Amino acid sequence: MTQVTVRYDDAIVRRFALATLVWGVVGMLAGLWLALELASPSLNLGIPQIQFGRLRPLHTNAVIFAFVGNGMFAGIYYSTQRLLKARMFSDMLSKAHFWGWQLIIVSAALTLPMGVTSAKEYAELEWPIDIAIALVWVVFAINLFGTLAKRREKHLYVAVWFYIASVVTVAMLHIFNSLAIPVSIFKSYSVYAGAQDALVQWWYGHNAVAFFLTTPFLGLMYYFMPKAAKRPVYSYRLSIIHFWALVFLYIWAGPHHLLNSAMPDWAQSMGTVFSIMLLAPSWGGMINGLLTLRGAWDKLRTDPILKFFVVALTFYGMSTFEGPMMSLKSVNALSHFTNWTIAHAHAGGLGWNGFFIFGMLYWLMPRLWRTQLHSQALATAHFWLGLLGIAAYVLSMWAAGISEGLMWKEFDADGRLVYSAWAEMVPPLAAMYWVRVLGGAMFISGLLVMVWNLYKTWQSRGTVADETVEIEVADKPAEATSSVDWHHRLEGRPLAFTLGVTVAVAAGGLFEIIPSMAIKSNIPTIAAVRPYTPLELAGRDVYVSEGCVNCHSQMVRPFREETLRYGEYSKAGEYVFDRPFLWGSRRLGPDLQRVGGKYPDLWHYNHMLDPQSMSPGSLMPSYRHLFDEELVLDDIEKKVAIFHDTFDAPYTAYELDHTEILARAQAGQIADGLVQQGLPDVRTKKIVALIAYLQRLGTDIRAAAATETAG
Amino acid sequence: MSDVPDRSFDYDYDGIQEYDNPLPRWWVYLFIGTIIFAAVYYPYYHFGSGKLPSQQWAEDMEEWNRLHPPVPLPNEDELMPMSSDKGVLERGKGVFATRCVSCHGPDGGGQVGPNLTDDYAIHGYSRANIVKVVNDGVAAKGMIAWGPQLSREDVVAVGLYAYSLRGSKPANPKAPQGDPIR
Repeated sequence: MTQVTVRYDDAIVRRFALATLVWGVVGMLAGLWLALELASPSLNLGIPQIQFGRLRPLHTNAVIFAFVGNGMFAGIYYSTQRLLKARMFSDMLSKAHFWGWQLIIVSAALTLPMGVTSAKEYAELEWPIDIAIALVWVVFAINLFGTLAKRREKHLYVAVWFYIASVVTVAMLHIFNSLAIPVSIFKSYSVYAGAQDALVQWWYGHNAVAFFLTTPFLGLMYYFMPKAAKRPVYSYRLSIIHFWALVFLYIWAGPHHLLNSAMPDWAQSMGTVFSIMLLAPSWGGMINGLLTLRGAWDKLRTDPILKFFVVALTFYGMSTFEGPMMSLKSVNALSHFTNWTIAHAHAGGLGWNGFFIFGMLYWLMPRLWRTQLHSQALATAHFWLGLLGIAAYVLSMWAAGISEGLMWKEFDADGRLVYSAWAEMVPPLAAMYWVRVLGGAMFISGLLVMVWNLYKTWQSRGTVADETVEIEVADKPAEATSSVDWHHRLEGRPLAFTLGVTVAVAAGGLFEIIPSMAIKSNIPTIAAVRPYTPLELAGRDVYVSEGCVNCHSQMVRPFREETLRYGEYSKAGEYVFDRPFLWGSRRLGPDLQRVGGKYPDLWHYNHMLDPQSMSPGSLMPSYRHLFDEELVLDDIEKKVAIFHDTFDAPYTAYELDHTEILARAQAGQIADGLVQQGLPDVRTKKIVALIAYLQRLGTDIRAAAATETAG
Repeated sequence: MSDVPDRSFDYDYDGIQEYDNPLPRWWVYLFIGTIIFAAVYYPYYHFGSGKLPSQQWAEDMEEWNRLHPPVPLPNEDELMPMSSDKGVLERGKGVFATRCVSCHGPDGGGQVGPNLTDDYAIHGYSRANIVKVVNDGVAAKGMIAWGPQLSREDVVAVGLYAYSLRGSKPANPKAPQGDPIR
């Protein structure tokens, strides 16, 4: 036995915890404002930077990466040091991680409202910030693995397994999904196109939920739950089985975000079956947490921290049941593109991540400040405010989602759509949008109560210093005595363990993504599908920048109601020049895949200027600024060249040499038509490019049909 | 859960102990059940009688077309007596107010779409022609096909109402489009 003194770095934990609170308030207020904009559209105030399409990614990025991210890092830095009986590998790396992460968040908050976005959900940040994220993540990884190397505990506790899986997988997901060819500092094009981009994006998006919002938090749960309950973890064997099953199965389920779409059918069905198989491994974590409380359930009556943890696990269990159900193609046909998905995301986000972080901070902060929590009563009040808030939020969005799904599909006796105009489906949702605002406001009020409570706790702090402990290090560590000795031995070998995790998480991605890239029959070519003209490409970039994809899908599904409402259902071959893909995940407005040629240019002009004039009752904000802002075509030649040289888009030599001239000519044509109808000349404004793009959308396939008929 | 007393290991992590409890039986059965589901679901859709979305769609459309065969639009002779029916015109006016004003203006004077009151017409000024344009739309000019959206009664009523607008005096008439009506 050797005596060692270890001083844990608690300052870094306090920093991350403080950042969690600050960004939590910011991110949730952005969410509340978005909810208000849907309940009362005038609240977009005509300011482009806070319109729904631009503010929505700010909200999602802020709550996921800033609030939940910082909370996760606080918990990981606190627990890892204690579980490994070692101070973090490098204080400098810890600081670089913290400040680097905050800098990334600030740059996100500055660029997203300006319309700098890649349009890929939860990965909207442009390439320079993506590189910064990768670098900071590597710093985190070196710090974690360095600490593993100098640990004084031979075997790794289950919490650390989950941390390792998270660090490895998030790096893999982020890097591969963000690969892009830069045009300028603020603009890049995805290296993947159309259906392939969709597959990679939802391989990322689904697993960001898995390895950023789930596995790290299961790890934290395995530390903070037994700590707070002062009870042993229920079953070591369950930990092993559900850990490996979870990290292996999760990766495969991404295509469930693309059910009934133009994705190849085999990939869709893979997404479904792997989602169903995820149910038990997910619930393994929930029951291992809840059963840890056996014999201590009475503490639940008095301890607000355990209340938060138990409700968090319950929401985790509920969401991981709902997710597989929504992955069945038949259920998805009703739920997808509706607010049901929003309910699902917030049951997980507010209930699981939010409540877990709250419980964790109530446990952690008084310890870090060497004092007692200021008020147990206020913490309990926070609990009830938050819980009722989640209930109002989730119930209203379930109701809204199911209403939308049913209204979209409703036919009258003559076989016509009952709600043929989109805006007719807006008023029935208004009451539910207001209940959601109420729920969100309650949840945020609870957070503010916590901020106040922790502020008062901080005021009564003791001598704040790093915790120092005396540790006895056995010269020869005790060997395993469990019923699963082989795994216990693996826990003593972090490198082998990490390798195992890497193989498990890489398998699903490789199996699903490589065939869809390599096998041509997955995306049948449609000869009539041509690259966008230079002006249409510029217009598409405007569409991306304004965040239109946050409300409008470009994916007509093979359903009777959709082909009658929109036109022919979408085919994978139509999207081969789409970088990024813009299929969307939600319809607050109608699908736009077949909008090309549906209305005259004049209709679009009026509609973008004053949507309600063309579509009374619409929620859409005015895009007046596109009529003022100049259409900059300085880099259009470079953009078209990238599509031609790097992405093999068949532009002719003439098109490559006359890019800007062609763009100006097409703009002039559209503008002339509008001028003839008595409108101001917009040939040099952004709106003309957007109209050109909208009029092109989904029309190539119609040209193909016309040629066939003629031939 | 089980009658076997909990057995914990002789080590701990920062004071956290773990029990060596067996996997809950119901959890194991649930896991096996989902694997069986997967093993049945995938082959059912890809090698069995399960219908993939596009196949299901083709069947649905066949069924829909069978239940709702196209009914020919009424001809000029059938429409003539209806166009003096006050009830029909009132109904048409109501439909016009919700569906047509955004493009043709509140009084039919034209805006995005052509002026309906002047002595010019693009697709021929007759009751049957107008009802046909309302029903089928004119994709090339951005006129929406209302047939799939409105009931046949509404299509006829609004067509006849539009027919009745010729000669009225709108506030801001749009310049004539199409050919003079003979």
